[in-house]
Amino acid sequence: MNAAAEVRESMLRRTAYAVLARAVRGRRERGGEWGEAVLAEFGETRGGWAAVRWAAGGLRTVWQERRQRVRQLPRHHRIARGIAVAAAVSLLAGLAFSRYVMSVGYVVTGSMEPTLQISDRYLLDKVGYRLTGLDRGDVVLVSVALAPGEKRHTHVKRIIGLPGDTIECREGRVWRDGEQLDEPYLMPEDTEIGTDCSPVTVPPHQLYVLGDHRVVSMDSRQFGTVAEDAVEARMVTRVWPVQR
Amino acid sequence: MPRPPPASPHTLRLFEALLADPPRWRYGYDLSKETALASGTLYPILMRLSEQRLLETGWEPSEEPGRPPRHIYRLTPDGIALAEQRLAARRTRQAPRPSGPIVQTRTAGGAA
Repeated sequence: MNAAAEVRESMLRRTAYAVLARAVRGRRERGGEWGEAVLAEFGETRGGWAAVRWAAGGLRTVWQERRQRVRQLPRHHRIARGIAVAAAVSLLAGLAFSRYVMSVGYVVTGSMEPTLQISDRYLLDKVGYRLTGLDRGDVVLVSVALAPGEKRHTHVKRIIGLPGDTIECREGRVWRDGEQLDEPYLMPEDTEIGTDCSPVTVPPHQLYVLGDHRVVSMDSRQFGTVAEDAVEARMVTRVWPVQR
Repeated sequence: MPRPPPASPHTLRLFEALLADPPRWRYGYDLSKETALASGTLYPILMRLSEQRLLETGWEPSEEPGRPPRHIYRLTPDGIALAEQRLAARRTRQAPRPSGPIVQTRTAGGAA
């Protein structure tokens, strides 16, 4: 065997031993009986990969030995332990789920009235819309700065225009590609007062968004179109109050 | 005796090795070589057999200075009986079926 191969083998062996010793003993002077047993035989192995295989089996042994110790604990102790582990795991899973998959949003402004009123809670989908794509009429959570240089905040708005759509306002009504929109979700007062906006053709990868409560909402009429990337979630449904 | 271990093919291979010379103390590494079982398979079986008092274990101080004591194993009388019974059962299973009525040999309960 040449020198390089020898060095590699000795490094493999030392690493395998260090990992196994760490698993068996942790910070203690001496580990469990069976972990120590595997460790004591380590010196019998020959070659680098044989040592790695031996150590890998040793890790499994350590794991089994630990499980055996847990099984031997008093019943109430085992149950308490199980509950603690289950609680920790579900807490982590829940946090990850709410961060990346679905969560509940809380309405802080009246800009989406009457669809969403202040203090309503609504279900947010953070994954589905990436698969199905966004559509006109979808209510989304977008992260925008209301004025250039200001901090970005998330706002709930309705998608009015997708890339390529031409949006304009005539006689207080919103028109898309020359067709007047039917907007049953508006506040009655907004239907009377009407919506005023400057005409725009939505650029690629941008969205034109408006709040349902046109007289109070800050939206694409002020800050222009928003990037598709700024969408953080899509509203699935209101969850609280259940009925209005 | 607590519940007898399920005699997996791995366990049977280990029984064979341990029954070759029952009073002799054996090392884990040698058993692993002899049975071709990886350490991750062999040791959990040894652990279980020992828990069920079928296997005796001990530590043997190493003759070479600086080397740790080695863990050693041999079957207990209960272990020997069970190992023999399980290996016999396997031989019966593997034997070609007799043409006449099937006679099932079973050892009586108790220590078996």
